[in-house]
Amino acid sequence: MARPGAVIEVDRNTPPTLFHYGEGFRLERLPLGSRIVYPPDPIDPIGHPERAIRRALSNPLEDDPLKELLRPGMKLTIAFDDLSLPLPPMAAPDVRGLVIEEVVDAAARAGVEDVELIAAISLHRKMTADEIRHIVGDRVFTTFWPDRLYNHDAEDPSQNVLIGRTNQGEEVWLNRRASESDLVVYVNLTLVPMDGGHKSLATGLGCYRSVKAHHTVDTLLQSRSYMHPPDSALHASCVRQGELIEDAVRVFHIETSVNNHSFPAVANFLQKRETDWTTGDQAAFFALKQVTDLAPPDVKRAAFHSMLAPYGMTGVNAGQVDKVHDKTLENVRRQMMVPVEGQTDIVTLGVPYLGPYNVNSIMNPVLVVCTGLGYLFNLYKNKPVVREGGVVIIEHPCRYEFNAVHHPSYVDFYDEVLADTTDPHEIESRYEKRFAEDAWYRQMYQQSHAYHGVHPFYAWYWAAFTLQHCGDVIVVGGDRATVHRLGFKSATTLEDALEMAEQTVGRWPSITHLRTPPLMLCEVD
Amino acid sequence: MISERLAGKTLLVTGSTGFLGKSIVEKLLRSVPEVGRVTLAIRSSPRRPAADRLDKEVLSSPAFRRLKEELGEEGFRKLVAEKLTVLEIDLGRDGLGLSEAGRKELLGCDIVIHSAAAVEFDNPADLSAQTNLLGASRLVRTLSEAGSKAHLVHISTAYVGGMLRGRVQEELPLDPGLNWRHEAEILSGLRPVVEEESRTPEVLSRLQRQARSRMGPAGTPSMARTVERLREKWVKDRLVERGRVHARAMGFTDIYSFTKAMAERAVVELHGQVPLSILRPSIIESSLAEPFPGWLEGFRMAEPIILAFARRVLPDFAGLPDTVLDLIPADLVVNSVLAVAASPPGPGEHRIYHAATGNRNPLRLRAMVDLCREYFEIHPLRDRYGQAIGPPEWTFPPQNEVEGRAKAMKAAIDVAQWIVERLPAGADMARISDDLNESRIRLDRALEIFELYGIYTNVDCVYEMKHLMDIWETLPAAEREVFPFDPATFDWRHYLHQVHLPTVIRMSRADTVARRGKQPTGSTAPAPDKDLTLQQIKRREGRSDVVAVFDVDGTLIETNVIEYFVWMRLKAKPLAEWPAFFADIARGAPRWLTLERRSRAEFIRNFYRQYGGLDYEDMKRLGREALHEVTLKRLYPEGVRRIRAHKDAGHRVLLLTGALDVVVEPLAEMLGVELDCAHLLVRDGILTGDLAEPPPAGEARSTLLDGYAAANGIQLAESFAYADSLSDLPMLEMVGVPVAVNPDARLSTVAGQRGWRIERWPMAPGNWRLPIPDPRSPEYRSQFA
Repeated sequence: MARPGAVIEVDRNTPPTLFHYGEGFRLERLPLGSRIVYPPDPIDPIGHPERAIRRALSNPLEDDPLKELLRPGMKLTIAFDDLSLPLPPMAAPDVRGLVIEEVVDAAARAGVEDVELIAAISLHRKMTADEIRHIVGDRVFTTFWPDRLYNHDAEDPSQNVLIGRTNQGEEVWLNRRASESDLVVYVNLTLVPMDGGHKSLATGLGCYRSVKAHHTVDTLLQSRSYMHPPDSALHASCVRQGELIEDAVRVFHIETSVNNHSFPAVANFLQKRETDWTTGDQAAFFALKQVTDLAPPDVKRAAFHSMLAPYGMTGVNAGQVDKVHDKTLENVRRQMMVPVEGQTDIVTLGVPYLGPYNVNSIMNPVLVVCTGLGYLFNLYKNKPVVREGGVVIIEHPCRYEFNAVHHPSYVDFYDEVLADTTDPHEIESRYEKRFAEDAWYRQMYQQSHAYHGVHPFYAWYWAAFTLQHCGDVIVVGGDRATVHRLGFKSATTLEDALEMAEQTVGRWPSITHLRTPPLMLCEVD
Repeated sequence: MISERLAGKTLLVTGSTGFLGKSIVEKLLRSVPEVGRVTLAIRSSPRRPAADRLDKEVLSSPAFRRLKEELGEEGFRKLVAEKLTVLEIDLGRDGLGLSEAGRKELLGCDIVIHSAAAVEFDNPADLSAQTNLLGASRLVRTLSEAGSKAHLVHISTAYVGGMLRGRVQEELPLDPGLNWRHEAEILSGLRPVVEEESRTPEVLSRLQRQARSRMGPAGTPSMARTVERLREKWVKDRLVERGRVHARAMGFTDIYSFTKAMAERAVVELHGQVPLSILRPSIIESSLAEPFPGWLEGFRMAEPIILAFARRVLPDFAGLPDTVLDLIPADLVVNSVLAVAASPPGPGEHRIYHAATGNRNPLRLRAMVDLCREYFEIHPLRDRYGQAIGPPEWTFPPQNEVEGRAKAMKAAIDVAQWIVERLPAGADMARISDDLNESRIRLDRALEIFELYGIYTNVDCVYEMKHLMDIWETLPAAEREVFPFDPATFDWRHYLHQVHLPTVIRMSRADTVARRGKQPTGSTAPAPDKDLTLQQIKRREGRSDVVAVFDVDGTLIETNVIEYFVWMRLKAKPLAEWPAFFADIARGAPRWLTLERRSRAEFIRNFYRQYGGLDYEDMKRLGREALHEVTLKRLYPEGVRRIRAHKDAGHRVLLLTGALDVVVEPLAEMLGVELDCAHLLVRDGILTGDLAEPPPAGEARSTLLDGYAAANGIQLAESFAYADSLSDLPMLEMVGVPVAVNPDARLSTVAGQRGWRIERWPMAPGNWRLPIPDPRSPEYRSQFA
């Protein structure tokens, strides 16, 4: 039985606490009495993943076994999650690859010839051949690439069809191949409760017109949080869309979940609480700290992005979307949930080098906001860890850098839009349409490996609730000009940041540090 | 006495378009209304007939403003019609180019005031000789040969005595044994000689080397133009130098005083029965009181030094601090001229007058500098930031010391510039280069001032004024009021502080008060973005006859043809062969760099041979891959924005580049723009390494662009061009809005001179990566499996 997550109070014997800091780390001494929330240790994985997958395929939830759905002459489409999941990428073999191999084998046995595999990238960037190969595995890749294994294209009018409208008027679009298939098998990997379920297909194979139905500032402000689907307006919308798709297309949904074993052996100390560090961990930390303090960002980035996580699979389920997703969420919560008592005045967290949108890329300032104030902040159930009007302190170098291939619209979003305003509503009403329909970004998305023109807007909306809920946001150790552009305050040290925060929340504030990643979900009562 | 004697007389004034001539005419009209007639000797210029010049160059001068105010426009016009006539006289021709009627008119004159001269100290030798020496001799010869009895007042200069010490008497200058005719012949015949000299192989090839180093990559036509410009400048400099050296060798300060001295000899020799007065003013500066205090036209001797002092261009100055700086206000000289004109010597006689201040009211150099400092401490000039410039403390070291220091600094700057020009261009380099250029310009200015004027502050003599003061003594008190010319009657402090220095500052248009908007406000809000090019684009919105031409390498993408080649070759080679390939490239690099500096086209030709023997389809595939791995990573976001702005405005966009089709075609496709690039010949699917057409570089670009414009109905005068290097100059020159993007040092200089817009586009930060494919990629490794 793995050790559950815990909330520790800082006393005189507490060693300095680790903060992620981009491609590096900082050790900070938190004030006495502060709380540190630690994620649970990785739960035990399933011993034989292949066997579990086969079992799930032949005993689906509220659906027929897969082999009964397959017949010669049918059109089969396999869609799968892209590289934004899991984080960091999983060391080979990726569980999606294992599932896809089983599905492809089953199809071959059943004599299905018309099989196509589509990466459900939605408005994310098209993956490179190497990246797709990593997810699906060598065998599938060499068989299907590039004609029958490819990225979804949300901007090709001939490749997207309108399925219909929900009762709320939301448009539902789907990849044409999927909509014309006799069976769509979706292969998912759920890392956090936000992923999976109806969101997979409705968003993954949708286009801007279907995604914009729920990726709005107002929807996100009504999602408390989007990491807990029952309280999320975003997910309600996705469910409406997904149910419409289920009516139109035969879907067989497969979901997997992994534990939070996020760091390989070299960085094992990241996985542990500071009190548990062995001499070896101390030495590893010391060495890595020295290197990351001195090395140029490029070199650090190359090293960090080559780290792959030794996740273990904790669950696999197949069948009807909702039934499967309930089981999956159960598995995910089992790994992530940490009970936290009461809210706090100040939350501190370190933003790591990686977020969902910068795999093999640069975490630009907009993505820092998206990752820190979007994803990490919103990993709660019931209430945010910080009280309304409280202060969030994040640590990240916030350098002014952008990957020109992956994030061309981000550069312009930062240079043009953020220079004008940082207010999500204003940004949405004044700029979103122009960026979304911009011909150049469309070209870059379709022909190169760029995120869609509208994507930086979604990254910013992701933090909309945090910006509204918090009294102030302070960035420690960030580039001053950049932090100002983002609309936040900049501090050199955590001590200064806490002093600054006191101006907002008053003397003797309560402080909670979220020691994440590994990821966790705080259940606040 | 003066008005009486001039009453009813007919006067002829030469040089009336000049400062002194104008002032004389004005004073005559204003203070001697009884004068009979004033004839202005004016030559038709190539641009204007003589009568027009009277209106445009004489009467519209501020000198006549006072008269116009006193009389009203109407009265003034009436006075002019009544008193002034124009006589076309060309001092450059024997017989003065006079018609018979003109001749008669000339002979009818009672007084001839000859004030025409080429007064700049650094005029070419031939011009000075023609105007100052031959002009005067022709005038006096015409008068004497015609038997005129007119009184000739010849305006000379006090410095005809050359570099004398002690008191200078009012008599003919010492004769170094020169024959003025011979001198005139030699000097005025210098130009063909120097022109000839400028075309000798040594000179021409040196000029060509200079031009190539400055403009080499811009192509043959630009270079030829540069050579010709350099040659013309060389001829002028050479003529100036020959004049100066000649004059100095003969013991004179400069070519002006030398030719004037020769002219004195000539007029004295030739005047025959014509009564002759020679008036030698010292350095004429702005008027003390008439027609208004501070009336001055053009910069003379003291002004450049005063400004250099106030701007701190000259941190120190050589000169004798106790030397008398002989300045004289213009109105004093004008009155002296009229007084002399009214006091003719007997027929066949000549008399010489000095009009100077050194004798009766000396101003010493140190006093002058102190007065200037006092003034500029209260009214400082401002630099471009609106900061007051403190005047320097001059210690008057020996001339060679100051000059030596300046020359050593200049040599150091030259070396630094030479190095900077040869370093790879970048924003930092461009900034350093700009700074160096600025220091160089300041030093050049300082050296020029030393060279030209330094000698005057070393002159150690005082001009005797007995003859002029004799006339002064005879003047009744009332006339002394109207025609003051005794230099003892004014105070230098008043003159400099109230009159002259304000005039100099006004005329130089230097800033003396910090202008609004230049004052620091303390605001840290980012400055509003004033993108002038975007405004230009807006102004031409919706016009399909406008094209925006972009160079690619260095302008849109931070890369060059070598890097593409390296990337594509590495991508297709197993890792084990990389070191050998790198060694090959390193061996070729120095040669390519040298070639690139000389001529872009040559470089491209030479380098593209590397592609010989490669498979065309392979290269096309690799070029497409390079789009994501190299091109898009290094694309300037600002460049893409600009292209989109043009497309949004409805303009055509054309990429004009020497890069290969295989690498730029994917980019052009993606941007949705037109493209003209280099193509290699393909034989049986294999590249030969030879270009299909001459590379579109240098002047070839301008013909391409011309053809494109003609074919598509483009108005180039309304179009835009963006480029980064000097080899794009012909292309930039053709369009209405040229923009130098991240220019190299040489293009930066040219763009600065022509007032072109210079923009700096950075790469998206964080994308610096050597163009080397990732050898860990399974995709890469699978090729060799």
